[in-house]
Amino acid sequence: MKKIALALVCLCGISFAADYDPVKGQMLSLSCASCHGTDGKSSGIMPTIAGMGKTTMYKTLLDYKNGKRTGTMMQKHVKGFSDAELEQVSYYFSKVER
Amino acid sequence: MMNRRNFNKLVVSSFALSMAACSSLTSVGSLPQKKKRVVVVGGGFGGATAAKYLKKFSPETEVILIEQNKEYYTCPFGNTVIAGINDIDYIKHDYKTLESKYKVQVIHAKVKKVDGATSSVILENGDVIPYHRAIVSPGIDFKYEKGYVEGSEMYSPHAYKAGAQTSLLRKQLEEMKDGGTYVMVAPENPFRCPPGPYERISLVAHYLKNNKPKSKIVILDQKKKFSKQGLFQEGWEELYADMIDWRSVEFGGKVEKVDPKKRILTTDEGDVKADVLNYIPSQKAGKLAFDSGLTKGDWCPVNTKTFESRLVKNVHVIGDASIATKMPKSGFSANSQAKVAAMQIARLLKKMPIINPPKLANTCYSLLSPSYGISVAAVYEAHEDKIKKVKGAGGLSPMGADEGFRMQEAEYAVGWYQNQMADIFR
Repeated sequence: MKKIALALVCLCGISFAADYDPVKGQMLSLSCASCHGTDGKSSGIMPTIAGMGKTTMYKTLLDYKNGKRTGTMMQKHVKGFSDAELEQVSYYFSKVER
Repeated sequence: MMNRRNFNKLVVSSFALSMAACSSLTSVGSLPQKKKRVVVVGGGFGGATAAKYLKKFSPETEVILIEQNKEYYTCPFGNTVIAGINDIDYIKHDYKTLESKYKVQVIHAKVKKVDGATSSVILENGDVIPYHRAIVSPGIDFKYEKGYVEGSEMYSPHAYKAGAQTSLLRKQLEEMKDGGTYVMVAPENPFRCPPGPYERISLVAHYLKNNKPKSKIVILDQKKKFSKQGLFQEGWEELYADMIDWRSVEFGGKVEKVDPKKRILTTDEGDVKADVLNYIPSQKAGKLAFDSGLTKGDWCPVNTKTFESRLVKNVHVIGDASIATKMPKSGFSANSQAKVAAMQIARLLKKMPIINPPKLANTCYSLLSPSYGISVAAVYEAHEDKIKKVKGAGGLSPMGADEGFRMQEAEYAVGWYQNQMADIFR
């Protein structure tokens, strides 16, 4: 019974969201900072992404990747990352205090 | 009255004071007892970023940045200074925030060499600074060739290291008569900032069109094609009609000889006389890389996952000097490499496994006029011995885009510069 419960918890975990991997999230966030500012705190025309909601950011990135959202630059970068990587990046920025 | 006890106190405290003074003077001369020390040499896009991010990833590590100049002038946006769009102060930055906010110890001195055998950096004044690991970001130097020698840059500026050279080329352009000829010699591959010469030509054309419209621009290119060529040539036709004459190495561009004082170039199709000669020589890694035994051929081979030199242990080489193919030699690349190197070094110092594989990126905006921007981008993954482009990602701005699109990219170019500078220096 306990094993089934554990398996269920694991399955639910996978189907809703992957666990946050802070090391990977931070590594993948590094190139974002070159245009969006260190830790996503922008001082220019690019939007601040520090402290952005994880779900919102992840959806925005997936929309760029799937062509539902168009821009001049973002679609070129997001296509270089797997969905799982984009989720980790979203986790990372959601945890940065603005 | 001073009794013996007070006298002793005085002796002890003055002794302590002098010890403190000594230790601050000599503290860099020996390794810290309980901490790790990383010495970064060169305070440009690569070095300054690496120093900041090392402290961010590993505040307990002692980070020393050695840079000869107190101020740093960026090559990116230097072309806007040459064209009179921005003042030279726009591209000037300093290291004060790295010291105050990030606690990087900045030493302004000239480095003689990085000595892998003794794990120390040797300054020109003879001081020796030992390290656990070193990061070297020496940038580029020029290959003197065809009559262009050291000192020629005073007559025919390369303006490919920013600062005094940027101001000199600006001055020569301002003094050029209407109807004069601006000649650029563009270098062969590989060189720093592949679209850089062509952005410069665009912005010089912008200045001439508005101020000296009878003038001409000739580019003598030492290669067959160049970065973002289609986009540049589309924009040139649209903005500057027939002012720009680009000659490839195959069709009249090949320079046999140059007289930098008289500003005369000998090509296989005859002599070309310039009123302003912007001669950009071919390039190699900065001198420090050669003096430190970090080069093979013209550049520095590295393990592309950590940027550790393949020739000298515990020394990492980042930026233009490193062989990081397929990444271009750009400021953005250097910044991206610096962060990855800093992250890997922070882990190596703690004996943790490196991140594998790390991802990197490049984005290059170029201005064809203050309101006309184009870009190229790529995402990279570092493998054992090379950096691969991630397929399906990146790419150029579209051909034939409308005015609004070009305007937007010009605004993003400025936004990139502001955030990129903050990511390096603040």
